[in-house]
Amino acid sequence: MTSRETNPNFMNGVPELLILRLLNEKEMYGYELVQAIRERTDAVVAVGEGVVYPVLHGLESDGALKSRRKTVNGRSRIYYSVTARGSRRLADLSETWTNLAGAIHRMLMGGQSAEAV
Amino acid sequence: MPKPFNELRERLLWAGVAPRHVKRYLKELTDHLTDLRAEEERAGRTRQDAEAAALARLGSVDDLTNAMIRRRQFQSWSVRAPWATFGILPMALLAWAYFIACFILWSGWRMFLPGADTPFGSGVGPIPIHSRENIYFQTGRLIYFTAPILVGWGIGLIAVRQRLKAAWPTVGLVLIAWMGATAEIRASRTSVPGGFGHIRMNFFNLAISGQSISGSLLHALVIFTLALLPYVIWRLRRAYFVSA
Repeated sequence: MTSRETNPNFMNGVPELLILRLLNEKEMYGYELVQAIRERTDAVVAVGEGVVYPVLHGLESDGALKSRRKTVNGRSRIYYSVTARGSRRLADLSETWTNLAGAIHRMLMGGQSAEAV
Repeated sequence: MPKPFNELRERLLWAGVAPRHVKRYLKELTDHLTDLRAEEERAGRTRQDAEAAALARLGSVDDLTNAMIRRRQFQSWSVRAPWATFGILPMALLAWAYFIACFILWSGWRMFLPGADTPFGSGVGPIPIHSRENIYFQTGRLIYFTAPILVGWGIGLIAVRQRLKAAWPTVGLVLIAWMGATAEIRASRTSVPGGFGHIRMNFFNLAISGQSISGSLLHALVIFTLALLPYVIWRLRRAYFVSA
């Protein structure tokens, strides 16, 4: 298997945020989810597609996601969807990342003060 | 299963990831790879190129392995708490099996030998081999004598499935062999007229009645050797396939 350049920051809380955000809209299976991440981020977030599964399994084990097996076009797939706990986690993560992104943006624009996050 | 996933499976198991998590991960990766290959073929690549591109998009074996092993929640209990998996759990299982054997002995004594001083057959006439009584008591004996071996095989199976090194499974097997070799059942009738007798068990005392210390050690060695067999066979098979 050949290696591929990935975004090292991807694993620092961003995958959870993106996954929860997308699955909050509708249930998806892994491949579908990765394609959605790629489309929504204009492929800015580059990641080995397979590493999405440990994130999904971890979120499921934390109770933020639930899964069900569904057969579509003769193929059995595992679909994931967000639980109530996952929705709360999404709200927390969204707030944290919005504050962080805002602070960084203000710094890059030359602002004098950045709020602590 | 694609060949790269065989390497991934072995690396995950050696890293202590629980087999059920490994199985599910590989199943989803295999499905994902199929989707990626189909996408690449639709884009006009040959099957071979599509396979290579799909594998590259999926991620390197290093990335796929690290993504899984950095999450402690996927580790098996035999890695997280080996003292419990190979110490407490096997001894508890063996104690439970002995409890069932003792219960069979005690209930058989009450049902079939109500007048006898012990349930071991002394003082009563021969019991026909096909009788209900004999089958009942022999079931208890079977559980009593096979339990240490079966629990030991369980330890070996866990060690094989999870690609564990020999240290902790060996500790478990030694404990089981010691417990099995020194298990001693005593039965005595109560002094209360018409009362039921009682049965008790002792463990871990090498000098048990009717058997010398060397006899107990030999018994422990026999249990240890028999229980170790599946693990040894797996190690030999693995060594053979690696060298072939």
